Amino acid sequence: MRLQHKLALANLLFKIAFMGLFLAVTPWLSERVNLYQTDNVLIEKREEVIDLISELGVEPFLVGESQDFFASYNILKEEFISLEQVDLDEDWNFIEVTPRSIDDEVIEYRVLNYSLLIDGEMYLLEIGKSLSSISVTEQNIRRLTIAFLLLFLIVSVVFELIYTGALLEPFKRIIIKIRSTAEPSSYDPSPVLTSTRDFQMLDRTLSQLMKKINTSLQKEREITQNISHELLTPISLLRNRLENILVGDHVDEELVIKVNESLTTLHRLKTLVNSLLLISRIESSQYLRTDSVQIHELINEVVDELLPMADDAGVVIIQDYSRDLYFEKANRSLLFSLFYNVVNNALKHTPRGGEIWIFGDRKKRQCFVEITDSGEGIPPDLLPDIFMRFKKRNDADDGGSGIGLAIAKSVADFHHIKVEVFSEPGKGTRFVFSWKL
Amino acid sequence: MNTLIVEDNKELALEMADYLRKERFVCEVVHTGGEASELIAVNQYDFLLLDLGLPDYDGFDLITEAKKEGSEAAIIIITARGDVADKVKGLDLGADDYLSKPFALVELLSRMHAVARRKFKMDTNVILFGGFEMDVNARVVRFSGGDVDVTRKQFDLLQYLVMNRNRSLSRIQLYEHIWRNTLDDQYDSNFIDVHIKNLRKKMAEYGPVDWLVTVRGVGYKAVF
Repeated sequence: MRLQHKLALANLLFKIAFMGLFLAVTPWLSERVNLYQTDNVLIEKREEVIDLISELGVEPFLVGESQDFFASYNILKEEFISLEQVDLDEDWNFIEVTPRSIDDEVIEYRVLNYSLLIDGEMYLLEIGKSLSSISVTEQNIRRLTIAFLLLFLIVSVVFELIYTGALLEPFKRIIIKIRSTAEPSSYDPSPVLTSTRDFQMLDRTLSQLMKKINTSLQKEREITQNISHELLTPISLLRNRLENILVGDHVDEELVIKVNESLTTLHRLKTLVNSLLLISRIESSQYLRTDSVQIHELINEVVDELLPMADDAGVVIIQDYSRDLYFEKANRSLLFSLFYNVVNNALKHTPRGGEIWIFGDRKKRQCFVEITDSGEGIPPDLLPDIFMRFKKRNDADDGGSGIGLAIAKSVADFHHIKVEVFSEPGKGTRFVFSWKL
Repeated sequence: MNTLIVEDNKELALEMADYLRKERFVCEVVHTGGEASELIAVNQYDFLLLDLGLPDYDGFDLITEAKKEGSEAAIIIITARGDVADKVKGLDLGADDYLSKPFALVELLSRMHAVARRKFKMDTNVILFGGFEMDVNARVVRFSGGDVDVTRKQFDLLQYLVMNRNRSLSRIQLYEHIWRNTLDDQYDSNFIDVHIKNLRKKMAEYGPVDWLVTVRGVGYKAVF
């Protein structure tokens, strides 16, 4: 999930939770506030009525057909006041909610009950205020609040998405820059324009790091290439000098053998230097990729080359290509080297009577080649290292330098060919090469 | 055959000269481009063995100069750079062949012979050995008139052995000669043995192969 969406989602969830709580609590809260205010009004009214009674007495209230009861409503029956002579054992002074039926209409009232003693007679004063009028206003306010909150929610989410989008734009560009960088040398060092300090720092630090990595990689390559060159001339001298020793007449046979052994060692040294030179040249992209290569034909050539050795070793090489496999923009010699090294490696590790399967297929624009041998396999702990230079199986005494697969890997990387290795000790090894057309 | 060796490593230059003199070449050795330039202007050479990595001179310039002087010399470039681009450039400028350090002296010699054959129409192009007949130009081996069916690799191997007759060739020398075009040489001593075994088997179908001798501890040689 993207950072921008995570931020927006977190904010949205927080707002929804907060609004939910707000909407859940407000009815109860506003009811409380309303009752409190209503009660205050009722108490004020009671004081007014008591003032009036103490001034005028009860007589002005108790008129009409009933001598001991007085009631008055306003037109909309929102409020009423009543005074009644009652027999009570105790003093009443409380406020309650009760339904009252007035003219066949039941209305909920908040009613203040107050008993008062006038001229030795006990009277009950009731002052009521209808609650329905309150709840209607309250509902309207609630509806309005919900509508407003929803609008706020939508507007704030949209705003947030746009704002964080704009805010994170430089970050996004930095990410794109990194992702499009296959090699430290191809990193675009031009700064990403932003006023956010954090991003400026991130961008700058990344550029500096890439530069550092690039410099040290380049240095390593230069050193490797220089050392290689410097080594090749003395190797050349040693070799020719040893060869000259052998040219003379009447050279002792034992000496010939010794000198030849030295020449073999020297050749191993040469191979090593040349392989390192090759890898370093591939890694510093000194090779061109200008060939269009039919991969099945190329592997066919590799197999042709190795066939006498396979026959001699009693190993069968089977090729099976379901479709034409090709690679645009390749370096043919390097690709030859890649498959040669892998098939040769398989051959070295496959016992007599074994088989090497080479299978190629293409699904839409995805090509792959599998090279499977029925050899001794690679122990799982060595599997991650098989493409490392100079790493080879402990028991492998094949005179190889252990660098063939390292060359294969660097060629594959150079062509952006994905390499996977699967192996089961005792059963064999499978190399899978895949690339997109 | 007059040969000028231009190589800044003095010891290496001497080893080359030493070997070639034994092969009856007349060799002059210089270690700088300046000296080489002067000599090329004055003398006529049959061979110019040129190291590209000279301290004072761009080796390519010497090729251009030699061509300008109307030199007929066969030019073989020698370099430790091993760069494909160098090779292409050298050949474009008119060099005849290209050798990467470290090379076998016998390889140098056989390249010189090959260039000479091409350039000066020297040497016989048909070689007879043990009843077999090798036509170098047509790349065929015959036995009493009929073609012997050998593979390309087998032919290269046989030709190298036959052309260096009576000379022991090590497995490495044979390997390098035959697989000279591969980028990395994953040399396996077994390769040459397998090819020789197959070659012997094939030739034995036609005639005796006792001329192809295994040299203990070294490799093989053709004796005839």
